[in-house]
Amino acid sequence: MLVLTRKLGESIAIDDHIKIVVVSIKGKQVRLGIKAPKETKIHREEVYKAIQDQNEEAAQSDITSLSDLTSDLNKK
Amino acid sequence: MKFNTTRFGELEVDKKDILNFAEGLLGFEQLTKFFVVDPGDQTLILWLQSVDDPKVAFPILEPKIFKSDYSIKLLPSELQSLSLESLSDATIYAILTIPKNVTDMSANLKAPIIINNKTKNARQIVLQDSKLEVRFNMYIELKRSIVAFASDDSKRTKVSAPQVVSNTTSEISTEKVEAPATKPANNTKEL
Repeated sequence: MLVLTRKLGESIAIDDHIKIVVVSIKGKQVRLGIKAPKETKIHREEVYKAIQDQNEEAAQSDITSLSDLTSDLNKK
Repeated sequence: MKFNTTRFGELEVDKKDILNFAEGLLGFEQLTKFFVVDPGDQTLILWLQSVDDPKVAFPILEPKIFKSDYSIKLLPSELQSLSLESLSDATIYAILTIPKNVTDMSANLKAPIIINNKTKNARQIVLQDSKLEVRFNMYIELKRSIVAFASDDSKRTKVSAPQVVSNTTSEISTEKVEAPATKPANNTKEL
């Protein structure tokens, strides 16, 4: 991994069109501004982690759990 | 082609119904070939079954079934990655989690599965819309729509007229999509 040190207000350019600016630093929190073309996908890493967790849980779904749903439906 | 599956036994699948996920799914990057299984039960839930791993199958559902106002917007590059001109040629599914307590079931609206119906190329696309939930609780809505579907069984397989999609935007509601579902060879099997 490339590691760079930046001061408040300084930025990093990635390719020709992406710019990341250090907007503010407060204690352990850093606020970043990102300037990128509209088609660039930008997500917090946690979003990917949450989706990965959901996928893993989904793959373990037991088809028999659904019998509770069917029996619930057949009650009426 | 015959495939062995943990949940549905051996299934005969037409080669043209195999979906290609070039990048796999998040957490399952090594699995790139899937097919859709319709167990034909009352729940309307389909399963995205891995070709390579008999154990891996994701319960999936068209979001319109439990959320009629669900609409998504893809970036031009995302449409391009599936060689789609618009979403009218695509099928959209949400992956469900079905825990032991079935009333806690949820659907991932943030990262739906998008399938190009013609090429059978598919991707799980993480949408930029921050309002969409990764775990959207939908048990009550699903139950309600199953009851509505059950009262009119013809709805189940009916495909309505293709919808009009504006050329300037890739946004559509998921109102109509054709499901390339594969029925298990043994339909009478108790599930």
